[in-house]
Amino acid sequence: MWSIRLGVRFKTYTRTVTRKKRNLLLMKWSLTFGLMVLMGTTSGQDLVVAAGTWDAQGEPHPALRILFMGEEFGPNAIIDLPENTAIPSSISNLDSVDHHLLIQDVEWEGINIPAGASVDFEWPALDMGSYRYHLIGDRGQYLQASGVVRVGIDSDHKFVWHLADAQAAWMDSVALGVPLDLMNYAPDYFTINEAHFPYTLEDSLALIELQLGDTAVISVANSGQMDHVLHFHGFHVQVLHSSRSPERLGWMKDSMPIRKGEGLTLELVVDQIGTYPVHDHNLIAVTNAGFYPGGMLTQIIVTP
Amino acid sequence: MRTFISGLTFLLLWFAAQGQAILPPLLFAGMDGEHILDDGSSLPFWGYGYSLDGFITLPAPLLTYTQGTNNSLSFINESPEGHTIHLHGLDVNQNNDGVPSTSFTVMPNQQASYAFNAQHTGTYFYHCHVTTTLHLTMGMYGMILITRPDGTLWEEGPAYDRDIDLLFSDLEVEVNLDPTGAFPFHTIRPNYFMVNGLSGNSLTANSDVAAAVPGERVALRLGSMAYSKVSCTFPDEWNAQLVMSDGRPLPEAMSPGVLDIYPGERYTVLIDAPESQETNLSAEFLSMVNGSSLSTQSVWLNTSLVQVKGEPAAPTWSCFPNPVSERLHANLPEGNWRIADGMGRFHSSGLHTGGTWSVNVEGWPSGIYFLHHTGGQSAKFFVN
Repeated sequence: MWSIRLGVRFKTYTRTVTRKKRNLLLMKWSLTFGLMVLMGTTSGQDLVVAAGTWDAQGEPHPALRILFMGEEFGPNAIIDLPENTAIPSSISNLDSVDHHLLIQDVEWEGINIPAGASVDFEWPALDMGSYRYHLIGDRGQYLQASGVVRVGIDSDHKFVWHLADAQAAWMDSVALGVPLDLMNYAPDYFTINEAHFPYTLEDSLALIELQLGDTAVISVANSGQMDHVLHFHGFHVQVLHSSRSPERLGWMKDSMPIRKGEGLTLELVVDQIGTYPVHDHNLIAVTNAGFYPGGMLTQIIVTP
Repeated sequence: MRTFISGLTFLLLWFAAQGQAILPPLLFAGMDGEHILDDGSSLPFWGYGYSLDGFITLPAPLLTYTQGTNNSLSFINESPEGHTIHLHGLDVNQNNDGVPSTSFTVMPNQQASYAFNAQHTGTYFYHCHVTTTLHLTMGMYGMILITRPDGTLWEEGPAYDRDIDLLFSDLEVEVNLDPTGAFPFHTIRPNYFMVNGLSGNSLTANSDVAAAVPGERVALRLGSMAYSKVSCTFPDEWNAQLVMSDGRPLPEAMSPGVLDIYPGERYTVLIDAPESQETNLSAEFLSMVNGSSLSTQSVWLNTSLVQVKGEPAAPTWSCFPNPVSERLHANLPEGNWRIADGMGRFHSSGLHTGGTWSVNVEGWPSGIYFLHHTGGQSAKFFVN
């Protein structure tokens, strides 16, 4: 077993860049894009594609961010849209290559965004639910340029779980233009809203805090390269919407699969107090670089 | 185990002297199991077993409860490391959840109980939640079934005749051989695939994994503790209908098509047992990382129960006494054995390595049981 795993590790090492090179890469990455983001103007839902970083246990890796115009840092934007209504917006591409923005599982051709250009477009009219938006192609996929679209979610207690998996070293490789060995993907980080446990507990959208009797709505989207399955301790959730599997509407589940690219809208009614984990039951995904516990793990905390 | 029995006897006497009754723990946790793989080799595993039996099984024993009952599942940790029992899907409160950081860990030689109400019928799991990524792949899981005495799947739900429980799981052989070398855990990749602990030819040849009388309405209780996705395909003549998932009825019954079962999920599929004995459920294990096909296991539905009941093949070994109320003995040859109740439901199993085989049946529900041996022969016995 060790010989096999050492082999994998060696291959991984050869695909990665050294720490020194990565730091230089991050400096160049940030300088190129940082000032350009600040040049934008804040206009609500207007967006910008810009360079950023993605942390693996405190170690930054280059990433592409889709942010609201004027925001400098943070995870990708959560887009809120009204139900069945097309909404005008714009997006600026500060990256060095062209991109194409799509929403998965819906009939929309998306929008081309040439490098350096700003494009006006309309978000499509969509049914109530949660969806995944993303930039297509390896650069968008592996640099984590994706997020959640919430459509017509009406609740006093709204939460968002944007799921992803990543082989952290690949982010360095993609930023440098090094080809990926796609057949040997070996993710070592598993995240909710771009954070892995225990940092998920510091995110008010990932950590669910409610009072007994509350009803919450959770928007989930899977931007990883793998299917995931969320197991709820203490509760079943009801499927309000699935972008991929409409036949599951109304199902009550404690172990909820979410396929690669799928969006789910789940209703949670809390009928008992206490602290309850929610985690991926694909158990390699509750680790951080192999350490347990970690990864795709958060909690539901219910107080009287 | 002997120490435990002695201590338990002392405790029983002490409580009897206090005028109180105490039951021995139903289960114990162990880390010294040996599982026979399809190629005949032996593989270490960790797991749970009935305390009265004194051995652990892979998977752990099927636990059955009646809807509406309040229950206490007790276990003693006879292993050198801490363990818990998480009642997967039963929505128990925090204290009974079996998660070390939010409830408690059962340390070596400690005993604990988990309280729960069997509120909803259906299929559930129990498993260890200590360093879950490792303890599950080592084998610490079993299935729980909650049923109704009136033979319906849920209140005002469809009637059926028989449960057949099929627990899909997998493991990475190298991890079981050297658990300390399992780190980093995110690189665990299963390479041995099981249905009720059996695989390959052992599964295909075992006629009591799925057995029914032709014409019966059978509830397949399907669940996965695997690290893979399991895609199940049902023969047309089974008239399969997907009716429940995760212990809840679906809003509408539906054809399952190819049913994908993800880790931790459970499904109930109603089927009509056909006359033909040439039909099987195909379970393809697919990598969760890259979707590649890893293995396909076949579960053949044995519909010869009527004939078997009428003319049982005489085994070359025998079990005694029969009826039995305390300890059942048998002059079994070496090999795997398995006990199912009169409804065909899995009860316990293990490996017999020689000498006189025996099992303690005290506390078992009265009724007919079948002892099956890997040689293909079976014997019926009655517990009173």
